[in-house]
Amino acid sequence: MSAETGSAAPVLAATDLVIEYSTRNGPIRSLDQATLTVGSGQIVALVGESGSGKSTLGMATGRLLASNAVYAGGLLSVAGRPVYGPGAQGGEGLRALRREVLAFVFQNPVAALNPTMRIRRQMELAGPAGREARDGSSAAEALGEVGLTDVPRVLRSYPHELSGGMAQRVGIAMALRRRPRLLIADEPTAAVDATLRAQILNLLVSQCRDQGCALLLLTHDLHAVAQHTEQIAVMYGGRMVEHGPTAEVLGRPMHPYTRALVAALPGEERPGRRLEAIGGVPPVLHAGCPGCAFAPRCPDALPNCRDVRPADAAVAGRTLTCHLHPGEIGDPSAAPNDAGRPRATEAGRRHLDKEQEAAR
Amino acid sequence: MSAITASPASTGPPPAAAPRRHLPFHGDALSRLGLLLLIGFLLVAVFGAWLPLGDPEAVNAGPRLAAPSGRLWAGTDSLGRSVLPRLVEGIRTTFLLAGTAVMVTAAVSVLLGMMAAYYRGLVAELITRGADVLFAFPALLLAILLAAIVGPGAPGALISIVLICSPLMVRVVRAASLSVVDRDFVVAARVGGAGPGRILLVHLLPNIAGPAVVQATYALSVGMLLESGLSFLGLGLQPPSASLGSLVHEGAVYLPIAPWLVLIPGTLLTLAIMAVNLVGDGLRDALDVRGVEVRR
Repeated sequence: MSAETGSAAPVLAATDLVIEYSTRNGPIRSLDQATLTVGSGQIVALVGESGSGKSTLGMATGRLLASNAVYAGGLLSVAGRPVYGPGAQGGEGLRALRREVLAFVFQNPVAALNPTMRIRRQMELAGPAGREARDGSSAAEALGEVGLTDVPRVLRSYPHELSGGMAQRVGIAMALRRRPRLLIADEPTAAVDATLRAQILNLLVSQCRDQGCALLLLTHDLHAVAQHTEQIAVMYGGRMVEHGPTAEVLGRPMHPYTRALVAALPGEERPGRRLEAIGGVPPVLHAGCPGCAFAPRCPDALPNCRDVRPADAAVAGRTLTCHLHPGEIGDPSAAPNDAGRPRATEAGRRHLDKEQEAAR
Repeated sequence: MSAITASPASTGPPPAAAPRRHLPFHGDALSRLGLLLLIGFLLVAVFGAWLPLGDPEAVNAGPRLAAPSGRLWAGTDSLGRSVLPRLVEGIRTTFLLAGTAVMVTAAVSVLLGMMAAYYRGLVAELITRGADVLFAFPALLLAILLAAIVGPGAPGALISIVLICSPLMVRVVRAASLSVVDRDFVVAARVGGAGPGRILLVHLLPNIAGPAVVQATYALSVGMLLESGLSFLGLGLQPPSASLGSLVHEGAVYLPIAPWLVLIPGTLLTLAIMAVNLVGDGLRDALDVRGVEVRR
């Protein structure tokens, strides 16, 4: 991490960001006052079900949302420069911001490469402009750093000649080519062969650590989150519900949604034991949700959960957005109204603890 | 399988790339026939002027309306001009005019089509609606209208062909571009700070080149047909220069007594258009994007 000016500002700061998609059936609210901060060089996971707004937040950082996305309030700044909100720049300023600060790694590695261009040319285009761009050896070095063997062959290949794992390594090398300060990885291992997932994720995290680049990992994979990330933000209905150090949040989940996620984790269940699915479906918001978005599915919902929006509160080293008093949900075994869940939560927790130890 | 591909694989290119096609249109006899014909026509068009066939515009090279014979292979026309050199000139003008028009069409439509896909909103609306309006006109009617405005001759024919072929090509290019423009590698390029120029030319253009080339070959055959139609109506090339269409036009009066004046250029025109269309079909099959994706 460099000590240059501006590194004091968080690389990503979203405050009450609201993004809607205008559709034929009226607006769909994807981000509903989302608040997230990623410090310089931090490895942060953003988890949540499909449709919770993870990808929208990721793409919003570069103003790369689909053309029907509408900004409807709040602030988003990247490396201290406003992207949404007052003073947000378009045109050349935005291009400079993308070029200098941001990089993306995509879910489908082959689709992230131009099928009509050899890897060498794509690496050159992804590299810094000017003299270095023509320098084939630096492209080769970059590919070597991401663990590719037989670099010359990869350089002269077209994307369809690479396997998914190789293509994702190339994607990571391309993303890190300009030394970005914030890398957004949207399910980078979802399309990769299961046996390679751990390798690819290790590579991504270690490359980011080496370069001092912050990583925002959008994922469903809590095992990977527990192993690799320092901070976790749990998203539901376009809003953060729990945000804090990964070990704390996954070790002792406090928001009912986080608890349900951890309980749904395949872990050390014995044969015959059911995994706990979360009942109901995620909400589709057409406007701001008056109360807590999770209230309809929440087993512990209080009468005011549906009508009154919970405030962010600092509880046990994390930011929690929930009406339930921590005392009432803090000790899972004390909750009287769910018999099966606490044990499953315990199992998930033990499993995660083990993985964290293994990662160290 | 994935473990193998991740480990060193220094055994040359993967098998998918191995079966290289050495000849164009492998296993596609019709397209090969079309290609041979087209090459023949192009050779005649390019080198025909140097063949010792005589002057296409020299009057009284033989008796008037002479039938094809050993000395005058294609006979003579009403002014006693030898028809064979006129046919060669006709092939050249027809291909040259239609080819030029198609190149202009391709350049304009590819740019507009890509812009219509990349810039949504007003720009896209203007381009697509403009194309729709042009598309609504019957082709030959539009050409006649233009000939009336610009005046008969090569420029009018050229503009007509461009205006008639462009709308369809804009649509095809736009449709192809729309499927590319939202793909991750374009987003990645935008994140890298690439401007619209680079995205359109470096990332979009190569990915839509296949459909654009196929469409251009079809535009070539339409262009040749249009040019001939205009010339036949007397609105295209003006005498004494010859195109295949104007030759048919000149010979039409003498159809009962000298049918070869119409039949030979008419047959040549049919063959030329057929050749171009066959090559277009072959290209379409050879460049089929879906086929490539399945191979992956």
